Amino acid sequence: MSMYPFITIQELEQKLANKEITREEILEFYLKRFEAFDGEVGSALEVFDKESILQNTNQEMGELYGIPGIIKDNICQKDRITSCASKMLENFVATYDATAIERLKHAGALLVGRANMDEFAMGSSTETSAFKKTHNPWDLSRVPGGSSGGSAAAVAAGLVPWALGSETGGSVNQPSALCGIVGLKPTYGLISRYGLVAYASSLDQIGIMAQTVYDNARVLSVIAGKDNKDASMQQIDKKDYTQKLDGTLPKNLRIGVVDNALHAHGIETEIVDAIKAALKVFEQGGASIKHIQLPTLDYAAATYFIISRAEAASNLARFDGVRYGLRDKSAKTLSQMYNNTRHNGFGQEVRSRILVGNYVLSAGHAGQFYNNAKKVQRLISYEFKQAFTDVDVLIMPVHPAPAFKFGAFAENKLQLDLQDYFTCAMNLAGIPSLSLPCGSSSNNLPIGFQIAGPHLSEELLYQVGHAFQQKTDWHRKKPSGY
Amino acid sequence: MKSFITQEEVEKIARLSHISLSETEIITAMEHLDAVLQYAARVQEIAKDIDISLLKNKNVEREDIVIPNSCEAILAQAPEREGNFFVVPVIIENQQ
Repeated sequence: MSMYPFITIQELEQKLANKEITREEILEFYLKRFEAFDGEVGSALEVFDKESILQNTNQEMGELYGIPGIIKDNICQKDRITSCASKMLENFVATYDATAIERLKHAGALLVGRANMDEFAMGSSTETSAFKKTHNPWDLSRVPGGSSGGSAAAVAAGLVPWALGSETGGSVNQPSALCGIVGLKPTYGLISRYGLVAYASSLDQIGIMAQTVYDNARVLSVIAGKDNKDASMQQIDKKDYTQKLDGTLPKNLRIGVVDNALHAHGIETEIVDAIKAALKVFEQGGASIKHIQLPTLDYAAATYFIISRAEAASNLARFDGVRYGLRDKSAKTLSQMYNNTRHNGFGQEVRSRILVGNYVLSAGHAGQFYNNAKKVQRLISYEFKQAFTDVDVLIMPVHPAPAFKFGAFAENKLQLDLQDYFTCAMNLAGIPSLSLPCGSSSNNLPIGFQIAGPHLSEELLYQVGHAFQQKTDWHRKKPSGY
Repeated sequence: MKSFITQEEVEKIARLSHISLSETEIITAMEHLDAVLQYAARVQEIAKDIDISLLKNKNVEREDIVIPNSCEAILAQAPEREGNFFVVPVIIENQQ
């Protein structure tokens, strides 16, 4: 058997096609890695047993036949628990497959487990999980980012070659960047949200994490495209997103650098320098670089706080202890049962976001907060649209500083919320963004940047990102000891 | 800076949200809500000058087709059930 750590999907497919290896051998290899390393990383809430993994997928050759991946625990896998890392759903068993899961199974992918996350996808460090901490494989004293921190850490430690996450304000791209892997937050409506537990429905998207741009595109090719079960879907046909990945940049590519993002308050010099170095790579590849301003970026996080919390308050109203999930059994009346169940089932962060959401929606405050935020959201979308008449893609930071220590923001929650500063604007505008590694900090932690494009420009983003990875080695750098 | 939210308001919002909070939890929530709202209030600064019309979204409709499904899997999740019913505690309290 010729398996080795951090083998890519592309290489695995080759080995399977050449009959050098079987899917059982691949699975055993990865399950052993979970056993060896996930004790210290803590990426998974559950790793399934070998037999059930092999049974729960298509037995015939498919597009991802025999390729293991892990699923963020807010995406339903039939007959498996979907806990959202919350006590509220600790024992909730999904009664159906999410559309993305159905397509992955149809393609023959091996779904090995459930990845840890911030409770109900609310957080930027995976510290709000009700069950465990996930550690950043690059430095176990640091967080992997969040909310898809389990998914990111699993890919970064080479425990799986790909993972699904979900993003509402930065939950795929931020942990991808902090863990040195490739994340895609697709266009709103490209991947069906059927079977994804809702946080803020007008923003939520399933996203993909992998070691390389090519691998990321392989997974998108399987799960993207129209689905009647999600009315917010774009009517896009399935296609192969790897087709144009020949390693070259599109001719006459115009890149816009968001200047005010590089000068944002609190951004570290190392991050700015790494992004400037990446720009040089694109320039040498023939792209033209234009410096642009997105003045509303400074209002994106505030807008995102209001809209996401408002929608969260509505979405999470369904957790009432009546039909499924936790119930406070000591309550004597229905109203006590609601109040106690929601107090005991939700962690502090989730409760806080519900309270903020109901506050900004309440009579007397909706005008000041919610209605204004919806207006600013339109301005943000408009600004992106204007920018894309001048340039093809935009380049921006993902995070202001490398992965931080556990509890770093315990005294200042607002600063933790502001981890979304660079990423939430894309979610508000519904545009896609690809995050990939472009450097390393002085203490050997990954630095990422993001390439954003107009609606449905995933193919272009992949092309640009793949060309970058053909010229650089940042994606080949791995944490030591795995 | 003036506080956005009072303790009474937090208690009211918690009641509307159907979340019981202890005294100390109310204080913590008040501090957190205040910090978030202070920051979020900046949307007002620019919102007043925005005059971009709302993009008209098209409503997506579909036929309401019944797909047969066993309710057993769903009922199996019930915290308490009786046959095909979900059981809940007393709804109308006894006026004594």
